[in-house]
Amino acid sequence: MNLLNVIWAEMKKSHRHNFNNRLMYFSLFVWPVIQFVDSYYAFKPFNLGQDSPLSRFVPVEKLGLFLITGCLAYIFFWSLVQSAWMMGYEREQGTLEIILLTPAPRTLVMFSRAAANLLEAVWLFSIFAVLTILFMGGLHVAHWWLIPIAVVILMLSAIVWGGFLNTIFLFSRDAGFLYTIFEAPMAFFSGVRMPVMAFPLWAKMIAYAFPLTFVLNILRSIVLDGKNLSAIFQPLLELFLILLCLIIASFILVRYAEKHAKETGNLTLF
Amino acid sequence: MWTAFSATFKRQLVTMRRAYPWSFFIGHILDGVYITIFAFLSYHFIFQGELNERFVSYTGTSDYLSYVIMGGVFNSFTVSLLMIVSRMLITEMREGTLEALLLTPSSRLGYFLGAAVQGLMRSGIEWVTIICIGLFFGLNLVSAHLALLIPILAAFCFAIFAQALVLGSFMLAFRDTYITQNTLFVVMMLVSGVSFPPEFLPQWMQCLSRIMPLYYGLDLMRAVMTKAQLSFAILQNLLLLVALGILYFFIGIIFIKQMEKSVFEKHFG
Repeated sequence: MNLLNVIWAEMKKSHRHNFNNRLMYFSLFVWPVIQFVDSYYAFKPFNLGQDSPLSRFVPVEKLGLFLITGCLAYIFFWSLVQSAWMMGYEREQGTLEIILLTPAPRTLVMFSRAAANLLEAVWLFSIFAVLTILFMGGLHVAHWWLIPIAVVILMLSAIVWGGFLNTIFLFSRDAGFLYTIFEAPMAFFSGVRMPVMAFPLWAKMIAYAFPLTFVLNILRSIVLDGKNLSAIFQPLLELFLILLCLIIASFILVRYAEKHAKETGNLTLF
Repeated sequence: MWTAFSATFKRQLVTMRRAYPWSFFIGHILDGVYITIFAFLSYHFIFQGELNERFVSYTGTSDYLSYVIMGGVFNSFTVSLLMIVSRMLITEMREGTLEALLLTPSSRLGYFLGAAVQGLMRSGIEWVTIICIGLFFGLNLVSAHLALLIPILAAFCFAIFAQALVLGSFMLAFRDTYITQNTLFVVMMLVSGVSFPPEFLPQWMQCLSRIMPLYYGLDLMRAVMTKAQLSFAILQNLLLLVALGILYFFIGIIFIKQMEKSVFEKHFG
């Protein structure tokens, strides 16, 4: 009940705060669509024939599906990086201190904030992605019931990542810098536009620092390669362990951030 | 005009040294660097250097890495300069100094030029940094025609400055920076030939390329910095760039005046 109350309150707050201006839909729909088109055309200068070296990692005829699944998963994670970035405004406007004065559990607030922002941020591009996938000939799944499982994995992972970022942003007064550090490398190294298996070792090490890499691996295994549940058991286990580490880290960091803020009084100072 | 120019230049210089959000600076450099790394990994690790023949026929070069790295370098430079100039008035508005600024008899052109020239210092540092990183990833500066580089760079900066005036007026109209600027930037990156030649795009999208100074600027910069032979097309593109800059300049001046009037009536009247 507590959780639902906090989620509902955060959802109402973020809706009133973020969606009072229709320009917001540019960031939620127009930008991702243009970025998807851009990522598709960025491959055009290369050999995309039947003998393309790309087919070692992705079948050339599935390049469109590869990119749209990458963009779809990315938008889930990106919307929560953006939401965490907005945490800076809570500090500037003095509402962060008020939120922490309420009896709501702190870590719950962090994860609820992520969950509340997710649905509103992704529904529009998700519809576009589904239509694009249908236009491209549909998915290649072993069992249709794996699709809702894939969606749940995507949502849960994004929420845990968003909650963790909200916690990290509690420490910073310059949220813009953290946004730069977290957003672009995630977009680039997580395999949104390029297969991670093609990366050299140093780039793979960066890639596996982001949960999105593991989520994309599972998502594409289900919808592109038609793998069944037993075939994705190992990546699922890896993702579960990473999410567990992030949840534990969030619990510890929230307490530390609050203690630090009480000592320095910097929750309202900017 | 000189007083407004030097006063704005000095103020922006002090702001840069004391209170500039360095996340912008690092963000612009990283944007260029990511485009560079993307090109490098795609070229070497995914496609093993195998290019589409149409790429060579559209660009006149088989040096894909130099093509894309130059795109990343000048895309970051353009974004940086556009942001510096276009955000000036709306930042004054947010900080509460716009009314005082509009009440002074100072030259608005001097004010914008002061911000732009000071901003060039910052953008220049970003530009040099990305070029230096690009050299490690395969940027090949075969023949920098210095005599041509300077007038082209001047025309390019003028056209971006003029485009920033128009962008700034839209920011005032929407009272927004984030959505307005980034919508322009994603469209600009798609149609201007940053990471692939715009000729790959459908015809109707190529029309958008023709209204972007970055499209002409990139073509010119690639011609003088990465190609050994010069062609007549350089002169043609230089004239088109200057003409586009003049067009944006007059539209920008008119729009900014209208917006100032509207802001004055709505918010300070």
